[in-house]
Amino acid sequence: MADMKTVAAATSLVFTLGLVCSVPPGFAQQPDSAAQRPDSSLSPQALKKLSIEQLMNLQVTSVSKRPERLSQTASAIQVITQEDIRRSGASSLAEALRLATNLQVAQVDSRQWAISARGFNSTTANKLLVLIDGRTVYTPLFSGVFWDVQEVPLADIDRIEVISGPGATLWGANAVNGVLNVITKDVKDTQGLLLSGGGGTEQRGFGTVRYGAVLGSRARARLYGRGFGRDATTLPNGQDAADDWHLWQGGFRMDWDAATVNRVTLQGDLYDGRIGQPNAGDVAVSGGNVMAKWSHTVSDEPNLAGQLYYDRTHRDIPGTFGEDLDTYDVDLQHRARVGTRHEVVWGLGYRLINDRVVNSSALAFLPAHVARQWFSGFVQDEMTLVPNRLQVALGTKIEHNDYTGFEIQPSGRVNWRLSPSRTLWAAVSRALRTPSRIDRELFARVSPTSFLAGGPGFHSEEELAYELGYRHQQRSLAISVATFYSRYHGLRSVEQLNPPAADTLVIGNGQDGESYGAELTADYRVTDRWRLRAGYAELRVHVWPNPGSTDRSGGASESHTPDRQFFLNSSVDLRADLRFDAGLRAIDDITNQQVPAYAELNATLTWQPTSNLDLSLVGQNLLHRRHVEFGAPGATRREIERGVYGAVAWRF
Amino acid sequence: MALLRVTAALLLVCAARLGAQTKASEAQVKAVFLFNFAQFVDWPPEAIPDSQAPLIIGILGGDPFGDFLDATVRGEHRGARPFVVHRYQRVEDITRCDILFISRSAGDRPEEILSRLKNRPILTVSDADGFAERGGMIRFVTDRSRIRLQINPEAAEAAHLTISSKLLRVAEVITPTGR
Repeated sequence: MADMKTVAAATSLVFTLGLVCSVPPGFAQQPDSAAQRPDSSLSPQALKKLSIEQLMNLQVTSVSKRPERLSQTASAIQVITQEDIRRSGASSLAEALRLATNLQVAQVDSRQWAISARGFNSTTANKLLVLIDGRTVYTPLFSGVFWDVQEVPLADIDRIEVISGPGATLWGANAVNGVLNVITKDVKDTQGLLLSGGGGTEQRGFGTVRYGAVLGSRARARLYGRGFGRDATTLPNGQDAADDWHLWQGGFRMDWDAATVNRVTLQGDLYDGRIGQPNAGDVAVSGGNVMAKWSHTVSDEPNLAGQLYYDRTHRDIPGTFGEDLDTYDVDLQHRARVGTRHEVVWGLGYRLINDRVVNSSALAFLPAHVARQWFSGFVQDEMTLVPNRLQVALGTKIEHNDYTGFEIQPSGRVNWRLSPSRTLWAAVSRALRTPSRIDRELFARVSPTSFLAGGPGFHSEEELAYELGYRHQQRSLAISVATFYSRYHGLRSVEQLNPPAADTLVIGNGQDGESYGAELTADYRVTDRWRLRAGYAELRVHVWPNPGSTDRSGGASESHTPDRQFFLNSSVDLRADLRFDAGLRAIDDITNQQVPAYAELNATLTWQPTSNLDLSLVGQNLLHRRHVEFGAPGATRREIERGVYGAVAWRF
Repeated sequence: MALLRVTAALLLVCAARLGAQTKASEAQVKAVFLFNFAQFVDWPPEAIPDSQAPLIIGILGGDPFGDFLDATVRGEHRGARPFVVHRYQRVEDITRCDILFISRSAGDRPEEILSRLKNRPILTVSDADGFAERGGMIRFVTDRSRIRLQINPEAAEAAHLTISSKLLRVAEVITPTGR
């Protein structure tokens, strides 16, 4: 009776407390952004049709040849390049992710985002794995991402690889519906001084200083510092939501080519930020990370790589919650060619987290202090059945976690090249979302007389995914289609105790579900100065209770996802020194949150009077004075305002 | 007009994804770069004897391109100027030349070669280490299977060559005197 309402209240309380977590382990891998085919030799005529930029992006064979990474190409991958980011006028990592049309990206308030792939989106989305230079950005609280502390300087990003669909075999648990790989530039590509800054109506003010220098003959280093202030969002009644956000961040990276075959990278960041709250003290976030990587390269490709990192993050939400999390992680990966047809990749990983929370009467994790560890290993064999035509990859991840013990996540992928320009791929995968603290250890007051508690028996959510995709590239047009069907077992549910106890609700695995849909992209170079990109996605998520479950929400607390999305981006070089970019997005309604469908437009005009100076004017969300992207209806749902800002970037 | 058409055709970004999908030989791509450079560089008037004088791409030392460079420029023009490939064994052999690729086999001391070409209106290109720092104009850098460009605009200016900002924008600009 009261159950539906209580459950909804419980979940919305928990999920709006400003927690944002993501997922678990994964390997630090820096796959190549583009699929390569070694065989075809291009004619002078074909090469002459390429622009300078394309020539520079062309993979060349000089020493060895290697087959493409099957795991990359037999999946729905999109790559956001540095140029895409720069031209889009994006001012944060989350904004840049709107360029990947296979993601669902919704801004919740000034600093919180709901980001997922293939549905199951929420502010605590838990089926997308996010890696920054191989470091898993993950909170064990709810297996999600706190987007407000992942502010990688956008100018340092080389590319972002976005894979929708399971990536668990290589990356591990929680890469259930997608993997997001943020890869920053080599130090040698960021030499010299960069000064950039600007401000406007929503992006109140921002500035970045970066300096890259040579340290001796084989080492280079860069340092950066940045800060920004964002305006608060707006409440439905037009009042200021008082969630303005300020962050300072600094960091370094050093690349040392110890020998021609050995490379060592050291990098780290520190950040400190504050976010306003309407009726309480500011949310304080701070933390940092330091990471060491080593790779040994034989014949043009790293074939032995290791990495080690430490990440610390602190969050204080006055009156509600506090957390100090330390993460220690080590990974090793080896790739070897076996005979002429097999390429075997395997890896081992270990992670330890030390999580201390400060509980309140509204929200608690019990015990308050836990240490958890994960052991993982994976192996994948990439087989060439017919050279340059047909390849198959079979692999599995085996992982041990403290909640559910051993878990196995296998996958099989096939890549069939129909012709030099057409590729068909298919994949079957099993992926798991392993338990996080919220599933097992939560204790939240839902109303003066009732509680929501974690389920001591909560086990992993399981997905079986079937994918089929097609790519076609011809001259100026590239199109891709990815279709998928997934079955889910044991999705999170909120159960009444048996016999029903009105005052206690427990988290269980009482729901099953399915999702299916298609993701289409087209990239068309209309002329040498005009590029159009379009993306369209259809997505359906259905969740239902298992026999015996008392959860009648239909997954309303697990997935808040529009049925369809459409994107159109246009990039024009008006003159050699003048660029104009516009991006339109049309997002269907989120039915179970009563978020209406909306369309919005971003536009950027960049003038480059000299080769080292960029002046840009950026308009964000231009079509409406304010609009809603996410959140349960109510007086506290945030509305995103139109924004305009100007920016200057100076390199020398 | 012919120039415009050729340029437009060359820059036509048609095979947008071809680049991502196909591997080409390093030498072939460099040959096409050499040909493309002609579209991004302006030579001083005194360097051009007449409007139909051939535009000469020279190779100093061993030729890494085989006949690919010849095939690349065959039938091509910059304006009314047809492209021609010349091969030189010694710097002294270089008479009139517009773009010169200095092969590694020409020796590992580009400074000596460059000093002999000093301020002649020749676009010097090489893949030798530190070429742009050592006074060369454009260096090919092969980096993780991709070819990048380093450009030393001061060296080009000294020879009265103008390199288009479009090319500079995609290259790493090297300023030896600034360090």
